Amino acid sequence: MTVVNTIRVNGVDHEIPANWQAKRLLDYLRTELKLVGVKEGCGEGDCGACTVLVDGEPMCSCLLLSGVVGGREVTTIEGLPREYLDKFSSACETHGGVQCGFCTGGVAVMSSWMKNGGTETGVEPVSKLLEGNICRCGGYQQLTNAIADIN
Amino acid sequence: MLDMTPPKISTIADRSTGRARYTSDLVPAGTTLVGIARSPHAHANVLSIDTSKAMALPGVLDVLTPEDFSGVALGHHIADEPILTDRVRYVGEGVAAVAAVDEAAMIAGIAALDIEYEVLPHAIRVDDALALDRPIHDNFPDNVARRFAAEPGDWDAEVKRVTHWAEGTFETAAVPHAYLEPRACLVRVDGNELELVSGTHAPSMLADQYNKIAAVWGATVEVTTPDMGGSFGAKWEHPTHLVCLSFAHRLQRDVAMVLPRRDDMIAGRTRIAMRIFMRIGATADGELVAKQTKVWADNGAYSLHGPSVLLAASVRVDNLYKFSAVKAEGQLIYTNNIPSECFRGFGIPQSAFAQEQLVDELARKLDLDPVEMRRRNAVGEGDTSVHGWEVTSCGLEDCLDMVRDRIQSHRNDSGLVSDGRFKIGYGLAAVIHCVSNSGHDEATDISNIIISVDPDGTICVASGEVELGAGTAEVLQRTVERELDIKRGQFRFVLGHTSTGPFGRGSFASRTSFFMAHAAIAGCKIFSENCSKLVDDLGLETNASIAEIAKLAAQKGHAESLKATAQFIPENVVAADDHGYGNIASAYTFAVHGACVKVDTLTGKTMIQQYWAAHDTGTVVNYQGAVGQVIGGVIQGIGMALSETTAVAENGQLLNPGYLDDRVPTFPGMPNVDVHFAATFDKNGPMGAKTIGEPPVIPVVGCIANAIYDAVEERQYTLPMTPEQVWNSLNTKVQ
Repeated sequence: MTVVNTIRVNGVDHEIPANWQAKRLLDYLRTELKLVGVKEGCGEGDCGACTVLVDGEPMCSCLLLSGVVGGREVTTIEGLPREYLDKFSSACETHGGVQCGFCTGGVAVMSSWMKNGGTETGVEPVSKLLEGNICRCGGYQQLTNAIADIN
Repeated sequence: MLDMTPPKISTIADRSTGRARYTSDLVPAGTTLVGIARSPHAHANVLSIDTSKAMALPGVLDVLTPEDFSGVALGHHIADEPILTDRVRYVGEGVAAVAAVDEAAMIAGIAALDIEYEVLPHAIRVDDALALDRPIHDNFPDNVARRFAAEPGDWDAEVKRVTHWAEGTFETAAVPHAYLEPRACLVRVDGNELELVSGTHAPSMLADQYNKIAAVWGATVEVTTPDMGGSFGAKWEHPTHLVCLSFAHRLQRDVAMVLPRRDDMIAGRTRIAMRIFMRIGATADGELVAKQTKVWADNGAYSLHGPSVLLAASVRVDNLYKFSAVKAEGQLIYTNNIPSECFRGFGIPQSAFAQEQLVDELARKLDLDPVEMRRRNAVGEGDTSVHGWEVTSCGLEDCLDMVRDRIQSHRNDSGLVSDGRFKIGYGLAAVIHCVSNSGHDEATDISNIIISVDPDGTICVASGEVELGAGTAEVLQRTVERELDIKRGQFRFVLGHTSTGPFGRGSFASRTSFFMAHAAIAGCKIFSENCSKLVDDLGLETNASIAEIAKLAAQKGHAESLKATAQFIPENVVAADDHGYGNIASAYTFAVHGACVKVDTLTGKTMIQQYWAAHDTGTVVNYQGAVGQVIGGVIQGIGMALSETTAVAENGQLLNPGYLDDRVPTFPGMPNVDVHFAATFDKNGPMGAKTIGEPPVIPVVGCIANAIYDAVEERQYTLPMTPEQVWNSLNTKVQ
């Protein structure tokens, strides 16, 4: 079996060092690549703060080993298109979608996937698609409105 | 010398695009990591700790044990919480700490510690603690940390007028704060200078406490608060801060500790679980006359803010209605549970759960509309409440009208009706809350502001208060923009930074915006006057802008003469006496909530169909922020009402230390929350504003319980009102 140990993160190829292969993708992104917009809220796949796109699909980076994503393309909040982030940010501003902000990066990544036609039917309710993202400040209504407002 | 540049205060844009920096984001790779060896026992003496094997491991740099913190304890009222303990009082309490070069070495170091325990009998329920034949703290032989009693009014005379009583015994749960950012701290060191970087409610108060302790080591401590991923009442002084400060000083290395979620919850804090007996007496025509309350509060292993929360839970909700006599008593009882702590609402949601249900029950008994019942009995502008609160503005009537009208429209228009299995119900609840609580700590309930000019001419506004994510920074910006007529970008500001900012009491008791804005307005006034005085010397026109004046003053070396410092200390406010009597706040705020629920009688599940929240918060300074606070409070209240609790095994172990099993609200199933603000103006408030932080969470549990009663005609006495709980209430009736 060939082990593919390169990944493309936010458009840049990286070789995953041997000592990172069996460590969490979350830690590799945060520590090695300094992409600290990816947050650890629970480390158990429950809160969604560490959500990244792997080959375009949203995944919890706390549940993936770095070695497992070899050969794949990873997008973190830092790698979302500037134009999209501006829209998301301005919708959050308008609708009060941000309080402490710790969950917001994960929600931004999810929403970009939704807006890119990533979902199965394209008509699933936002609340269903975001059931894996916890906002303890309770901003669900505002985030839902903000996301609906992004075109 | 440590670089004490304050962190940039993040904007909404920073926080929504991954650019905000929280404590764990600031830890450089390779920083020495600290971990804690936790007790597996709920109550035990630590007989010995052998550190030799751990110290011999490669990568382990240092180990701390209880001896290193001998005589040091934390506590707001009762200094009872050790830093590392030789007498364990809950499962997960820290016994020893390891500093190591990386995570693997740190974990190996903890595993290599040889700790010998002598297990003691423990108690995880307040009844068991009261009956425990040995004290959890030796100087509290009956396991009661604090007793409280109040009896304003002539009880014996007043109860003679009572014709109808409603009463019940209510149980509330130990809900974890479950903020999304787990506890983290980074300590930077240079010689005897220490900087603690950590999200907290009260950087000035932490620095004050920690400096007293660090003085013994010959060190000084400054506290820096970066972006903070939620707290809701949990992040104050904590033993892990002192462990990290000590390691950093001993090793002369920067150290960091970022707790995993599980550890954060095991060794965290929770809302104070309470049993509340309450009865309320009314006359036949609906006057609320007398109220009796007995509170048994589960303090957990250590007291923290427990004594103040006990007082608040015992009497604060009484102030909403014009009771003629009140009898309240409370006990704060040590158990071997996780130390319980203040949590948004400060014990008041617990007692509002009881009171608002009993008022609802009396209205039904007397065949009165619940809105009219509250209108008739509530305090209003100019009133002094039964515990001495002087109400300077009151929008309760407006709030009642708004919720009543919307419930009525919803009844007419929503098309929701009960059928055989699914029952529809409407409920409402009201609240009064104080803006700060000078009774808690009169001497330090102040807020300071410093306005200065940087060498490049930028105006710098430094407040001692802190941004928890609730919108403090936005309120400060808008206040300064308004008062100095300057724009964003023409000034910078500093919050929660003890080395360059002034003292502030911190974020608690819904005080931050009120105190900070008052201080800022006073500071801006002085700064403007200083600017006017300098206009001639600078050769500027009299209508020169503040920004122009500051810029030129900096260039010509006059920056220092512009500097303004101001302080806000509330007037006409007193510390409550031992019985909780006194006008403890500059202003009081009101709210009325309403809910429509659908209860599935087959499963007991409650589904909230629509929620209304009407708040009297005085002038709304930051509308978007205020709406966010209201909706967020409601959502947290829904978690407390329907799903959140700590499950504790008989041996004291927490069984649900994570989001999978502690059911915090998530996106699906959350109702639309319709938010309204009453048009009030408080003469004591900055720009007429009062407060918004805590009130939104307080009425939710009572409101939903009343709606459930309306749907299924069963009172709910236990939180959370899970499907099992509600189903049991429907199916275990005495035949």
